[in-house]
Amino acid sequence: MAKAKAENVPQQAVQKKKRRGVPEKYRLFLIALPFLALVFIFSYVPLYGWRYAFYDYKPPLKLSQCDYVGFKWFTMLFQNKGWVTQILNVLKNTFAMSGLGILVSVLPVAFAIFLSEIKCKWAKNLIQTLTTLPNFISWVIVYSVAFSLFSTTGMVNSVLGDLGLISSPISFLDSPNHVWLKMCFWGVWKGVGWSSIMYLAAISSCDQELYEAARVDGAGRFRLMWHITLPQLLPTYFVLLMLSVANILSNGMEQYYVFANAFNKDKIQVLDYYVYTISMGGGNTYSLGVAIGILKSIVSVTLLIIVNSISKKVRGESIV
Amino acid sequence: MKKRTARMVSLALTLALCATGCGKKSDEGKETSTTTDPTATESASTNTPAATESADASKTEGEQKYPEFLTIDVFANESNYEGIETGWFAKVVKDKFNMELNIISPNVSGGGDTLFTTRSAAGDLGDIVIIGCENDRLKDTVTAGLLYDMTDLVAGSETISQYTAAIDKVKGLVTDGRVYAIPKEVSSQSPAEPSETTDLGFGAFVRWDYYQELGCPELNTLEDLLPMMKQMQDAHPTSDSGNAAYAFSLFKDWDGNMMNLAQQPARFYGYNETGFVLHKVDGSDYDSIIDNDSIYVRGLKFFFNANQLGILDPESTTQNWDTLWNKYVDGAVMFSPWSWQGPSAYNTTANTEAGKGIKYVPIKDTQIISTGGSPAGVQVVIGIGSKAEDPQRMFDFIEWLYSPEGIMNNCSADSGAAGPEGLTWELVDGKCQLTEFGKEAFANPVTTAVPDEWGGGTWRDGVSALNYKAVKDSDINPETGVSYSYKMWDSYKDENTNPVDQSWSEKYGADTMIELVLKDNNYLVEAGTSFIPEGESSDITALRNQCKAKIVDYSWRMCFAKDEAEFDSLLKEMQDTVKSLGYDDVLAYDMQCAQGKDAARAEARDSAK
Repeated sequence: MAKAKAENVPQQAVQKKKRRGVPEKYRLFLIALPFLALVFIFSYVPLYGWRYAFYDYKPPLKLSQCDYVGFKWFTMLFQNKGWVTQILNVLKNTFAMSGLGILVSVLPVAFAIFLSEIKCKWAKNLIQTLTTLPNFISWVIVYSVAFSLFSTTGMVNSVLGDLGLISSPISFLDSPNHVWLKMCFWGVWKGVGWSSIMYLAAISSCDQELYEAARVDGAGRFRLMWHITLPQLLPTYFVLLMLSVANILSNGMEQYYVFANAFNKDKIQVLDYYVYTISMGGGNTYSLGVAIGILKSIVSVTLLIIVNSISKKVRGESIV
Repeated sequence: MKKRTARMVSLALTLALCATGCGKKSDEGKETSTTTDPTATESASTNTPAATESADASKTEGEQKYPEFLTIDVFANESNYEGIETGWFAKVVKDKFNMELNIISPNVSGGGDTLFTTRSAAGDLGDIVIIGCENDRLKDTVTAGLLYDMTDLVAGSETISQYTAAIDKVKGLVTDGRVYAIPKEVSSQSPAEPSETTDLGFGAFVRWDYYQELGCPELNTLEDLLPMMKQMQDAHPTSDSGNAAYAFSLFKDWDGNMMNLAQQPARFYGYNETGFVLHKVDGSDYDSIIDNDSIYVRGLKFFFNANQLGILDPESTTQNWDTLWNKYVDGAVMFSPWSWQGPSAYNTTANTEAGKGIKYVPIKDTQIISTGGSPAGVQVVIGIGSKAEDPQRMFDFIEWLYSPEGIMNNCSADSGAAGPEGLTWELVDGKCQLTEFGKEAFANPVTTAVPDEWGGGTWRDGVSALNYKAVKDSDINPETGVSYSYKMWDSYKDENTNPVDQSWSEKYGADTMIELVLKDNNYLVEAGTSFIPEGESSDITALRNQCKAKIVDYSWRMCFAKDEAEFDSLLKEMQDTVKSLGYDDVLAYDMQCAQGKDAARAEARDSAK
């Protein structure tokens, strides 16, 4: 969509170009400049921090007062079995959670289609607002809600206990069972409304004639959804899917950070959270954290390139 | 028109972005002063003219000496309060130094060392800096140019230069042999004798009323507590407010190299921690914590068994210190390993008058750690920030903290020193005694209102939030001839009895826990030394962090394992995991430090003889 707009703009501008002021090419550049600056400041300037990975950085000393150690931190990651096992475990969690996230990414599509079928306007708006709202609740708050519901003295356990269904409280939060699924559930609860917004927009731009023609051919409501709406949403879906595959290593850390405890740590520690624990979580081995961060970036870029070339082959269209 | 607007908007956006992106550089180092300056300059400008107009007599001591009002940033590593100090202690500081304290507390902000790191990266820790000096921290802070050289100021100060051992210690910690900081809790008491006031820090503190109900059964060893506590909990399943009560309840805030609470039983047997080593403070035994027969695993087993008996609070895994404290206040927990936890929270006047209280109960084979006096102080130091606005005044303040008046005022949190003279205590016929207000304030610190001329607020809210004891409160105050702590005053001992303490004294024939452990020989003194091991290399730090996270996680899982077989398999798994992560390298380093520490302790014991 962005591409289509970009093509329209120059055409309009061509007509006005002859007037006066800044030449067209600079004007467009100026318009783009804030965003370029944004990307530069938040994506490129931080790369300067990569130099910490090559020093034995020990706060409060300044970096200039610390020893240069070359690739020591990178080799350390692979120096013994324990570390390798641990990193593999972290990667397993990362891929599992991202994989589950990708699997459930069809839910917002389904949700958007069903929501658009609701004809009663106020109900539709209400549902959309209510489902979008969780996206704006921070993970800390989500956790406190989860805690009051599911802790050993939380509502669920109290109710079950009072009903005589259980004799000792069930530990929902501090157990190593089904951690991935639970995390996935919270993610869906928080994100489904928000992610469906893009699909709702796509649905609203669907060509109404297609529906009319299908109705004339005798298609029912579900047939319309299946044969008209869904195919129109697929391009959007695939672009988003591709992006999330490229982003598979970055599933954020807030959610896992707040939900983590001694019992589920082995299952919940994803890469971003692991980097955080190493560099900030009491340990202060910043250099090592940066080194892992660098490795992560390299893997992410590689993944993006792979996905992009697959996309080129399969869809004849690249996303980068 | 549209075009121009678009241009303007894009230009404005670009500028705004550049400004946010680049702004930091010019602000660097000023960060702290910008947050505090507005109040400081504002009050200064309103204060100074008014002050010059009025007669000198109306000025406080502080205003006469220091005309400019300051708000100073105190980086207080051990503080549990963040923000401007208020109440009576703030009033005392304001009157004496014409300044107020803005406390910056890493404990409150969370994230371990993050606050220290970010502030030191910005080049300004604060005007007053309180930090630990283990692991080369003092040396590095000095190297990074964050502390003010106060060698000359110290030399000119009688109050501080008398602590020669302490000064020598900090000189030895930096490369240039100058004084940048002064250690906490210096003491003139013997390093080989217990230096606590009435109670040791550690021990089995149990609900005394329930214990009596059970007929005060004799306890021969730690594990004897379990069946007894089980009986106790069965007899009293609810707290004062009707919630579920448990014999044991734990929290995880202080987990470090290992699970903190599981380590406490080790303290009952004279073991203290050096990294992954728990070693007896007399140097007779060294335990690698993960060994099957280590004292630490015994602690884990103890809480595992408690959980099997159903007397371990299931909320232990999720609650924090505050939640647990409130449970103690409510009488929902019956055991505490620390004298400053269970007893402090529960033994209020109302409870003890009603015969309810938590008291120390002796276990026959224990050798509880007692801290000896340390002439060179502990591993925490106070210094002046290199960017402090008025270093002389900062030094005067620190000097005051080490003076009898300062100690009395600053150390009165948690029933330590007696507080300001004239408010909480007075000299009657040359003898110290608490005033009526003082008795009230120490019995009910949270509710007692302080008179307005002393700054108002409640007593507890007004106590110094620095959490920095310059001198041990059991030391003798040269101005009064008795200890700084009111608890050791004869007048206090005579007057302060309640049914709980009385029955306890009758049973054991001793007035205080110290007397009892001395009598039964249930203690082991950790001799005070100035030993600080050399900083560990960052390799060891990296390995340690990996291992300790695993140890802590496995420890919790072991305590809550469903049966003995799971406990054992988790233990085995933990040993294998941390060993493959490089545990042995860290252990070797820790072992060396532990031996160095014990050698220093032996030396201190010998010199005290």
